[in-house]
Amino acid sequence: MPDVTKFSRGGLILFLSFLLMAVFSPALAPYDPWVRFEPYLPPGHEHLLGTNDMGHDILSELIFGSRVSLIVGFGAALMATLIGTAVGLLAGYFKGTTDEILMGITDIFLMIPQIPLIIVLAAFLRPSFWMVALIMGSLWWTSTARVVRSKALQVREMGFVQASRALGFSDRHIIFTDMLPNIFHVIMPKFMLSIASAMIAEASISFLGLGDPTMKSWGMMINFAFTRGGFINGYWWWYLTPGLCITLFVLSVVLLGFALEEQEEATMRLE
Amino acid sequence: MSHTAKRWSRYIIAIVIIFSLNFIIPRAMPGDPLTNLLGEDVILTDSTVAELRSEMGLDRSWSQQYLDYWWGILHLDLGYSFHRHSPVSEIIFSRMKWTLLLALPSLLLGGVLGTFLGALAGWRSRRKGQKMQTALFLAIYCTPPYFLCLLALYLLSFKLDLFPLKGFYTTGSAADIAHHLFLPILVMTLFSLSRNYMIMRGSVLQEKSSLYAAFARAKGLYDDEILFRHVFKNALLPIITLLAMDFGFILSGALFVEIVFSMNGMGNLIYDALLSRDYPVLQGSFLIITIMVVSANLLADLLYSSLDPRVRWQ
Amino acid sequence: MSSPLANAAPLLQIEGLSVSFETPLGRVKAAQDVCFDLREGETLALVGETGCGKSVVASAIMKLLPHNASVQGRAVFAGRDLLALGEKEMARIRGSEIAIVFQNPSLALNPIMRVGEQIAEMLQVHKGVSRSRSLQMAEDMLSRLGLVKKETASMYPFQFSGGMNQRVMIATSMILSPRIIIADEPSKGLDGVLAGEVMVEMARIKDQVGASLLLITHDLLLARDISDRMAVMYCGEIVEIGKSREVFSEPLHPYTNALLSCLPERGFQPIPGSSPSMIEPPAGCKFHPRCPQKQDKCMRRPEMVQVESSGEFSGANESTGREVRCWLY
Repeated sequence: MPDVTKFSRGGLILFLSFLLMAVFSPALAPYDPWVRFEPYLPPGHEHLLGTNDMGHDILSELIFGSRVSLIVGFGAALMATLIGTAVGLLAGYFKGTTDEILMGITDIFLMIPQIPLIIVLAAFLRPSFWMVALIMGSLWWTSTARVVRSKALQVREMGFVQASRALGFSDRHIIFTDMLPNIFHVIMPKFMLSIASAMIAEASISFLGLGDPTMKSWGMMINFAFTRGGFINGYWWWYLTPGLCITLFVLSVVLLGFALEEQEEATMRLE
Repeated sequence: MSHTAKRWSRYIIAIVIIFSLNFIIPRAMPGDPLTNLLGEDVILTDSTVAELRSEMGLDRSWSQQYLDYWWGILHLDLGYSFHRHSPVSEIIFSRMKWTLLLALPSLLLGGVLGTFLGALAGWRSRRKGQKMQTALFLAIYCTPPYFLCLLALYLLSFKLDLFPLKGFYTTGSAADIAHHLFLPILVMTLFSLSRNYMIMRGSVLQEKSSLYAAFARAKGLYDDEILFRHVFKNALLPIITLLAMDFGFILSGALFVEIVFSMNGMGNLIYDALLSRDYPVLQGSFLIITIMVVSANLLADLLYSSLDPRVRWQ
Repeated sequence: MSSPLANAAPLLQIEGLSVSFETPLGRVKAAQDVCFDLREGETLALVGETGCGKSVVASAIMKLLPHNASVQGRAVFAGRDLLALGEKEMARIRGSEIAIVFQNPSLALNPIMRVGEQIAEMLQVHKGVSRSRSLQMAEDMLSRLGLVKKETASMYPFQFSGGMNQRVMIATSMILSPRIIIADEPSKGLDGVLAGEVMVEMARIKDQVGASLLLITHDLLLARDISDRMAVMYCGEIVEIGKSREVFSEPLHPYTNALLSCLPERGFQPIPGSSPSMIEPPAGCKFHPRCPQKQDKCMRRPEMVQVESSGEFSGANESTGREVRCWLY
């Protein structure tokens, strides 16, 4: 299906661009985003996107902002995926009471209103972005857990796993050697989609001013634009650009996730 | 344990755990629990502080405090906001109706349109025009809701001056309220729609390759007939729970919409409470939102059971 | 008993039907140059091993193949080439003129739709019958198939056994009195006794409505018992075709012979070698690598040739319609 490849290729290119932007920020940004120039400058030669209320160059802010989105998104997704995979695997493999208990816990976690909880915790803790990633990760593992569990239930019944068990291999061995590799390609798309959710959540938290003030994140840029008169005065370059970046970065991740899902389905059809 | 008993117990346990979390957080967080419970920047004399400490039961044992906490909740006593000089429950309930006015129509519209369009998208996934539509909704899905609001505000209110910039009403007439609500509801609906669209599309894509869909075609049903007579309901059932779980997410989105549009609902209440570190209001809001989300999940669960004959006949 | 309509004009003419699939593993040639006729009122069995392409032929006729299939040839029904029709026109024919009964009835029926409604749907969609009336007619159809209880129609497929669901599917396909019924492995998954019962009912209704039956099966005994004529398929090709009893008593093609020898009553002898790949089939006659009577000629693909039968089963003036694809003839 050619159109899917077109989209996923676009997604890959976008993702890699943002990745490069994040990794090579110091080289790409025209200025250090913390250096002050004249505030509230509109876009011009010296400052392609103008300056904010503190006189920081917006373009540099934008470029460095990719780092926060990437780290928080990745960190949260990684944690969520690790926990989710562990829970799902154990539940799917051991079944019975373990399964019931773990799924019960999963259902409860699913019902916790995530962003409100993050808001409450962030209000109390005033966390760094590592903390934010941690909190998000500890809430988001549920959907991964479900998917991993259903796949684990499937794989468990397959011939080679039964054989391993009959041969007396330890559970631990079976889980790591037999089950995990086969579950991997289900985890990857979920991982990508978790990154997407985490990025949007991070942007939302920062927008509320709960982000880490020592790091420039896109959400915080929009927050400042909103609260420091950028919106009212129509300084679109201040708040539209970070918003666009968030959308595009998330879009690229989602497209990659979809592409991985398509691939996984295609391999399943062949089986 | 019977199926129904299991289900109900899960919900009750969820509420107990989340409410307990709410109890633990202010007491476990760094700092003086009293500040955590009162909020910061609250100016009181030392004697008042001591009084409050004993009133709030902070000098009693933890287990006693826990029981008092539950006692209070069952009496709808969510504490007192010193910033606003009023019981938290009163504040929340007066704001909640506005949030519901914004959220409920959006949820309904977004749900109906989203599942309908999403089903068509999954069914016609290969057609050219469909891909454009899917790409559009995908883009909306990836946009943080508050950014969507900013865009809408900027384009339609600021530049084109079609809609008012803030608030729920200026004159208070029904038409006026509708005018004010139009843009926020539009954005919320798009937000909710895009999520339901994606989920439903995925489900229909899966169901498309099922044998009963092939048999329906073999029976002589043509295209959309197969979708709406057979696939739609089968695709909808497994995702009802998913859609309900999304409710929490969408409600959070509503909060952001209110903030951007400067509307006096729970969103701005939470925002202000955040800025002034009015913890009682924050916690109270959290509780209320939890109840709403858990109820939505429960409703969806019940709905699912009544719709899927396989569950009914267990 | 010879079929009184043996010389009537064929209801369905399959001419040069070839089907191939593009897959990541290569091009699968599922059917090659398949030709046969289906006459009015007759039962034609299409037999062969699993994977020989017989189900593909059925799906091709109904235009139900997946989108990665390419189809060539003609399937002429009532003067029109089905393969040239658009989807909308084909949809009108499916179910009402040509009906198909799938394998695996429990999965082919919509699990959350009442059984009666699934049958009644045929009447509603094709003939515009009202809902209440169509449900009534569906109930009648079910009782004719042995499911007499009134509540049956309002139950769901997941509440039924495989055999009951099979009957529901048959009811669905027969209720509009189609002229052709295609039954794809109808006895699969059902135990011997039940399969027999289902087939008896199906044959009875088929005679009632005067339809022709194209029976796709790997069950040779079933084919022999209920079909008038039989076509044997191997690796996507028809290798022999003729009156069922003739083919059984005097198999002409070496493959047919070998196939019959596999039957318990004939000695249970397996065919040496393994089934050929459909992506890279053998050159010439597909069976020649495993054939006990192969010659050098067999490297070239034989054509179908008419063969005179010994006359035991036909009158002097009747053409026997016996054809074989083998260099031996």
